Amino acid sequence: MSLTARSTRTVTRRQFLRACAFVSGGLALVVACGPQPPAPAAPKAEAPAPTAAPAQQAPAQKPAEAAKPAEAKPAAAAETPKKGGTLRVGFYVEAATMDPHLSGSKIDRQVYHNVYDPLVILDTKLQIKPNLAESWQTPDPKTIIFKLRQGVKFHDGTDLNAEAAKFNFDRMATEPKSVRKGEIANIESTSVVDPYTLKLSLKKPDSSLLASLTDRAGMMISPEIIKKKGPDLERDAAGAGAGPFQFVEWVKDDHILLKRNENYWNKEGGPYLEQIRYRPIPDDTVKLQSLQAGEIDVMDYVAPRDVAAVKADKNLVEVDVPSLAAFWYMLNGTKPPFDNKLLRQATMYAIDTEAIVKGVWLGVGVPANGPISSSSWAYDDTIKPVKRDVAMAKAKLAEAGMPNGFSFSVNTTNIPINVQELEVVKAQLAEAGITMNFNLMDGARLLAEGNAKTFEMSTYQWSGRPDPDGNTYQFFHTTPGTSLNWSGFSNPRADELLDKTREVSDQAERKKLYSEVIKILQEEAPVIFVVHPIEPKAFSPKVQAYDPIPDGMMRFKDVWLK
Amino acid sequence: MGRLVLRRLLATIPVLVLVTSGVFSLIHLTPGDPVEAMMAESQDPVAKEAVRAQLGLDQPLYVQYVSWIGRLVQADLGRSIRNHEPVIENVTRRIRPSVQLALMAMLVSLAVSFPVGILSATHRNSPLDGFGTLFALFGICMPNFLIALLLIFFFGVTMRWLPISGYVDPLEDPLAGIRSLTLPAITLGLALAAVITRTLRSSLLEVLSEDYVRTARAKGLAERLVVRHHALKNGLIPVVTVLGLQFGTLIGGAVITEYVFALPGVGRLVVDAVFSRDYPLVQGVVLLIALGFILSNLVVDVVYGWLDPRIRYG
Repeated sequence: MSLTARSTRTVTRRQFLRACAFVSGGLALVVACGPQPPAPAAPKAEAPAPTAAPAQQAPAQKPAEAAKPAEAKPAAAAETPKKGGTLRVGFYVEAATMDPHLSGSKIDRQVYHNVYDPLVILDTKLQIKPNLAESWQTPDPKTIIFKLRQGVKFHDGTDLNAEAAKFNFDRMATEPKSVRKGEIANIESTSVVDPYTLKLSLKKPDSSLLASLTDRAGMMISPEIIKKKGPDLERDAAGAGAGPFQFVEWVKDDHILLKRNENYWNKEGGPYLEQIRYRPIPDDTVKLQSLQAGEIDVMDYVAPRDVAAVKADKNLVEVDVPSLAAFWYMLNGTKPPFDNKLLRQATMYAIDTEAIVKGVWLGVGVPANGPISSSSWAYDDTIKPVKRDVAMAKAKLAEAGMPNGFSFSVNTTNIPINVQELEVVKAQLAEAGITMNFNLMDGARLLAEGNAKTFEMSTYQWSGRPDPDGNTYQFFHTTPGTSLNWSGFSNPRADELLDKTREVSDQAERKKLYSEVIKILQEEAPVIFVVHPIEPKAFSPKVQAYDPIPDGMMRFKDVWLK
Repeated sequence: MGRLVLRRLLATIPVLVLVTSGVFSLIHLTPGDPVEAMMAESQDPVAKEAVRAQLGLDQPLYVQYVSWIGRLVQADLGRSIRNHEPVIENVTRRIRPSVQLALMAMLVSLAVSFPVGILSATHRNSPLDGFGTLFALFGICMPNFLIALLLIFFFGVTMRWLPISGYVDPLEDPLAGIRSLTLPAITLGLALAAVITRTLRSSLLEVLSEDYVRTARAKGLAERLVVRHHALKNGLIPVVTVLGLQFGTLIGGAVITEYVFALPGVGRLVVDAVFSRDYPLVQGVVLLIALGFILSNLVVDVVYGWLDPRIRYG
């Protein structure tokens, strides 16, 4: 080892140590010098007044009241809306795809409702209103004729006309990866009557179809973009929609950026915002802290455990958005133990859903009486959720010849609130002598076991559809083979009623039919209904004019920033 | 040295084959498949079969593996099933924040562990040493997510000095970028600092009791110089081993930190890919992470030779 060599190395090492010291000092400097966001404003006396209204709704106790869409907006709408600004939205999870025809993820729809315009839209009372379709007629129960609005252009500048609409319906029906096939299954054919008139011919009457067209199945994509981009549309939707905002970019797991569509057809109101920037922040606590610190302006969902804190925070505006969702436990009726109706009933009576909603959901939801959520027009508040009755549960066990109970296992995804909920259920079942074991797994496996009907009991969370058909038919109508009817439920009377709900178009009439279905479900217990969760959202007070629609989707067309 | 590098690079091939075939069979054995995950809402078994056939998932496993390897040798990692993006693009974009975070975490840990480790060793059994041990225990015991949440609460929410979540590329906006990575780097760096502190302390103690150190002291050298010029370099060898192993872990295994701070890193990419059973993506990422591990260990071996010329590879 030569002397020179050694000294070079010594210097290097010294430099290295010096560099370490420098870096630690540098870090401190970076911390100190960076731009500092304004400190939290002192709680103002003039905190947005209408906030209190949705906050004071006592959702758990009064299903009927919670069922009303929150009418208050985060702030007084009296002021003149201001153009400009970037709305920063925090999501709980990353979007899956930008192609509405291939999307099976709820979070995608949050983006779509601002990028893609549907043919028809929902109002806050879940009634269907014209949108891209100016009007529609049903000359007979098996035909729907849409009159499309003239002069509407996609973001790529091409015309949105009947040809384009037909292209969309055809693609939904034929594209192999399409998951819209079920929603449009009743459409026999689509034809272009004239450039702005589209005719749908149905296989059989379907009064739920129109409601499906308020969401992904009705969202129009530019045929030119589909042809040009092919599968790349899944991650780049530039030019694809006709909505109030257009897609700019999507950096996976970082952000999705939209900008204002200057040529939006509807000149009433917005779009006011310059940009919308969606960011997935998977950790609930961090997402809430980001909102509190002003890094985001909107969070899509407030976890039940945080709702009280958010309501108490004067610098945040909380809105309880009633949802269409229903969470239930699937019981597999195709194999033991739940092929025995008595054991299904025993399990149902042993579970106290009211206690679960109060204790686990902390009142951020209502106990479910069936699959139709309390925000739907078809909700029947005269049917009460099944009450816990341990004596009855034991009687059913005895009748089934199992007075000492039985044991089964439940499939669930390993998410804290699911596990907490099932811990409570386990304890409740134990009081009736029923033993429940846990089978924690990820979402993909839960779906696989459900579709293959290899489970015994499985948690199931359905985000809900505007038409009650979407919460009932596919789960409880006899369907051979693979279907969402995981419990394998088959009841001739229920089938008849469910078929009839599609033929009848009068809402009052349909509601009666659904009520009868729910009574059958409460008796047969193919599933155990647990909760209709509320979807609380939180906003910065500068977000104005947000109108909550019970499907939980955030449409930002008329939203502006103070 | 050149021969060593070449030989080690050749030795990576069987390792990679083992890793990829292992991951390949594990992910395919896991219940659920990408088509079910992607088309959960569709109840059309015929359509699902068609998509499976289109993706080649209906082939026997070994056929799928061989055809994957076949494309791999042509430098084609395939495309993500979920969003059709080429795997290589996906990974190169995601590896950037991960490497930046790993480097910063390493700097943080070195900046902390060197002074603490050296002082602990030179002031053995003093209160200072006790503090060092306490610090190390704290760093090792505290779960990542807890440190992360505490840091966010203090620096982000209360003091508002640093951003809470999100990523800015330091190569595009250096100040904002470094600020966005500071809290995650401290989170990761503290745990690593604890490990390095302990390693450095014990190896330095051992070196300090060597004969040549006694000789140096006997020559009348100042203790500071003895430590810096004679002991430290030899004491660094185990530290370099730890660093080399940890660097790989930091890149692929910082899932929780990436999750909490909403950073678009490789860890989250692979976890999400596993959840959606995005086979090509999982395989591609694991392959590249394994490659990263092997290379960082190769670098470690080279650095050994520089630190201690007695170590020779023949």
